[in-house]
Amino acid sequence: MAKKTYDLLFKLLLIGDSGVGKTCLLFRFSDDAFNTTFISTIGIDFKIKTVELGGKKIKLQIWDTAGQERFHTITTSYYRGAMGIMLVYDITNAKTFENISKWLRNIDEHANEDVEKMILGNKCDMEDKRQVATARGDSIAKEHCIPFLETSAKANINVEKAFMDLAQAILNKTPGRVAEPGGVNVSSQETGSKKCC
Amino acid sequence: MRSQCQHMMAAFKARLKTFEDLLGADKIDRGKLRKECYQGCPENNCRALCWKLLLNYLPLQRSEWEKEKAKQRAAYRNFIQELIIIPGQKAKSNLSANGTLADHPLNPNPDSQWQEDFKDNDMLMQIDKDCRRLCPDLFFFQRATEFPCEELVKAGSNVETLRKRVEHSVLKSETVARNRQGITVNRSNSRRKSEDYIALKEGEEAHWEVVERILFIYAKLNPGLNYVQGMNEILGPIYYTFATDHDDDCRTNAEADSFFCFTNLMAEIRDSFIKSLDESQCGIGYSMELLYRKLREQDVALWHRLEEVELKPQFFAFRWLTLMLSQEFPLPDVLRIWDSLFADANRFDFLIYICMAMLVLVRNEILTSDFPSIMKLVQNFPHNRIDIHTVLAKATELSFRQS
Repeated sequence: MAKKTYDLLFKLLLIGDSGVGKTCLLFRFSDDAFNTTFISTIGIDFKIKTVELGGKKIKLQIWDTAGQERFHTITTSYYRGAMGIMLVYDITNAKTFENISKWLRNIDEHANEDVEKMILGNKCDMEDKRQVATARGDSIAKEHCIPFLETSAKANINVEKAFMDLAQAILNKTPGRVAEPGGVNVSSQETGSKKCC
Repeated sequence: MRSQCQHMMAAFKARLKTFEDLLGADKIDRGKLRKECYQGCPENNCRALCWKLLLNYLPLQRSEWEKEKAKQRAAYRNFIQELIIIPGQKAKSNLSANGTLADHPLNPNPDSQWQEDFKDNDMLMQIDKDCRRLCPDLFFFQRATEFPCEELVKAGSNVETLRKRVEHSVLKSETVARNRQGITVNRSNSRRKSEDYIALKEGEEAHWEVVERILFIYAKLNPGLNYVQGMNEILGPIYYTFATDHDDDCRTNAEADSFFCFTNLMAEIRDSFIKSLDESQCGIGYSMELLYRKLREQDVALWHRLEEVELKPQFFAFRWLTLMLSQEFPLPDVLRIWDSLFADANRFDFLIYICMAMLVLVRNEILTSDFPSIMKLVQNFPHNRIDIHTVLAKATELSFRQS
C-alpha cells in the first residue's frame, strides 16, 4: 500500500469548449512539455502532480474533461467533488469565450458552492489570430469575482502560475486541514474525502 | 530456428488458403467466416473484404457484389453532390454576388439557408478539429490520398470545399464583428492555413480530409445524432483498412465503402453516442454497469477493490466501450481486436469480455495500488507489456467460463 507522501489532496477540474487546449495545459503543467498532436478527450482523463505550497506537500489530482455537449452528463458528475475548477477558453475563437457564461452556469448547478474558480484565456501566444481582447476576459472575470489569466500551453506562459494560484486559493480556505487521501484510504466507512471543502 | 520459421510460414499459408477458400465460395458461409475472423484476419490481405461482409455491406452471395457495390457507390456520389457540391457552388456564387441577396447571414427567418449553414459550420468545425488530430502517431492520415474527390479538388472547381468552408467560417467569425462584408479580406489570417494543414499540392487531399467528408455527410444524413466526438475514432480504423488494402478496387472506393460500413456499424453502436440514452437499457451507462456486474461474477475481489477505491467505470470504461478500444491500443492491435468484435454473433458482447480481460490481466496492480495509480493504469493500458493476443485469449477464456 502506498505511503502517504503528501499533506493535502486537492481535486481540480478542467472544463471548457472542445479544442481550447485543456489537455495541452494539463500536459504542460504535469510534464512540462507541449504536444500539438493530442487526440480528442473522450469522457475524462486524469493526471497527478505533487507541488509544494506554504511548506506543505500538496497532491493535485487533476481531471481533464471532454468539451462536447454529449459528454456533459459524464463530466458534470465530477463537478461535485472538485475543490477547484479551471474554466478555459481560446482567445483565437470568440465562440469559446461566449460559452464561458454557459460553463459558469454549469458550475453553479453542479459544483460545490464554495468551489474555487479560475478563468483562463488560452493560446495567448497567437496574438495575430486573437478574437477576444484581454479586457473582455478581464471584465467577465471581475463580474463574477473570479481570478483570470491569459495562458499559453505552447509558449509556457502562466501555466504553472494558473495551477499554483488555484491551489493557493484552495489552501487559503483550508487552514490546518489534514490530508484525506481519497482512494489511498481503504477503510470504506471513512468517506471524509467526499465532503471536502 | 529455421524449421520454426518454416513452420510459421506454413501455418500462415494455410491460414491464407482457408480465407481464400472461404471468400472464394459462391455463397459465403457466414458462420465459418465469423469463426475464422474471430481468430484474426490475415494482415493486409482480406481484412477489408471480411469486414465488408461482417458489417453487412456486401451480401453473402458473391455474384451480387458488383451490382451492390456499384449501387452503393453511386448513392454515395449523390450524397456528395447534394450535401457538399451543390451547397458549395451556391456558397461560391454567393461570395461573388456581393450582398444583394434575399437571404443573408443575419436573416432571422428559420428557413434561411444561412441559419442552417451556421449550424452546419459549427458541426463541421468540430469534425475538422477532431479529424486533424486523428491517430497522430501515424503519418497515414496526413498523407495525400491517391483517390481524392475529383469534382471537389480539380483546378478551377467552382465548389467551396469543406476545407475552404472551415477556413471561411474561421475568417467569418473573426471578421464579422468588425466588418460585416469582410469575408474576403483579412490577409493576416491566411497564414493560419499553411500552418494548420501540412502542405499538400493543389488538387490533393489528405486522408483525414476524406474522413472529415464522410463524417460530415453522415452527420447531415443523421441530424438526430449529428456528429459526436469519438465517431472519428470509429471511422478511422475502417477507412485505414480499406484505403491500404492490396486490392485496387477497394482502395479506389475506400471513401464510399467505409461510409456505408461505418453507417452500418453506427446503427449497432449509436446508442452509446446518444446522451439521452445514457441511463437506458441500451445506453452506455448500462454497458458500463454490465461490465462491473460481469466482473463481479468472475472476480469478486477485483470488483470489490474497484468499488472500494471508488473507481467508477465512467472514469475509463466509458472510453473503452464507446470507442471499442480504439484509443487504448496501437492501430494494428485495434484492427486485430475489431476482427474479433465484428465476428461476434452477439455484437458486442465480446467487447465486454475484452474489457474484463484487460482488468483481470492487471489485477495484481489494481489490488495493491492506490486510486491514482489505478487510474493511471486503466487510462493508459500497458499494451507494451501485455500483448494483444494475451488479452484476446483471456477474453475468450472469460467468455467460455460465463456461458
